[in-house]
Amino acid sequence: MVADARAIIAGLGGAENIIEIEPCVTRLRTEVRDASRVDQRALRAAGAHGVMAAGNVVQVIVGPQADVIASDIEDLIG
Amino acid sequence: MTTVLAPVDGAVVPLSAVPDPVFSQAMVGPGAAIDPPRRPGRALAPIAGRLVKLHPHAYVVVGGDGRGVLVHLGIDTVQLKGAGFELLATEGEMVRAGQPVVAWDPGMVEAGGRSPLCPVVALDATSGAVGPVAEGEVRAGDELFQWTETGPDRSRDV
Repeated sequence: MVADARAIIAGLGGAENIIEIEPCVTRLRTEVRDASRVDQRALRAAGAHGVMAAGNVVQVIVGPQADVIASDIEDLIG
Repeated sequence: MTTVLAPVDGAVVPLSAVPDPVFSQAMVGPGAAIDPPRRPGRALAPIAGRLVKLHPHAYVVVGGDGRGVLVHLGIDTVQLKGAGFELLATEGEMVRAGQPVVAWDPGMVEAGGRSPLCPVVALDATSGAVGPVAEGEVRAGDELFQWTETGPDRSRDV
C-alpha cells in the first residue's frame, strides 16, 4: 500500500499550509507556511517511515513511491 | 535469496555512517554504503530486474521477486539537478546485474561540498534480512551483501 496522499496533506496542516511539495527518491520535500501545524504522528499514521523537520522545510519519508504520492497530492491540492 | 552487487568501487561502510538520517536510521531499509574513489566512474545495477526509478543521482531496480534495491549516488545530490551525471540506461527498461546505469564523478560531488557516499538499500527489508555484508574494499560488480529473508516485509508499506 502506498502512503495515503489525503492523510499526508492533513498531516502537513492542510492544503493551504503547503507552499511546495517536491518528490525525491525516498521522500517528499515540502515547504509549509506554518511548521507548528505539521502533525508528525499523523504523517506516520498516513504511511510515512519518518519525518524530518527543519524550520519550514518538512521531509516526509515515504519510500520509492514518493513521486507517485507527490503527484497524487498535487492533483488533490491543485 | 538475492545477491546484491556493489554498484561502484570503494570502501564498504555501514549505513549508520551516512550523513543523512533517512539512510543512517534505515528508514527505507537496511543495506550498506560505499565510499567511492574520487574519480569519474560508472554506477552499475546492483541486481537484475526492471529499472523502475531512474534519477541522475539515484535509481531503483526491482527483481522478479518484487524486491527493490535503491542506489543513491552521494548525499543531497538531488540538489545538483543532474549536473555531472549521465544516464546510461532508460527508466522502465530491464537491466542485467552489473549493467552500467549512470556515469558520474564522486570527486566533483565532494568538491561541491557534498558527501559522495553511496547507500545501497534493500527497500523495506527487515533489519535482519541483510547479511553478510562485504568488508573493506570492493570493486563495482563484486558481491556487496546477501538479502536473505524470503519475501518482502509487508509490515512497512512501500
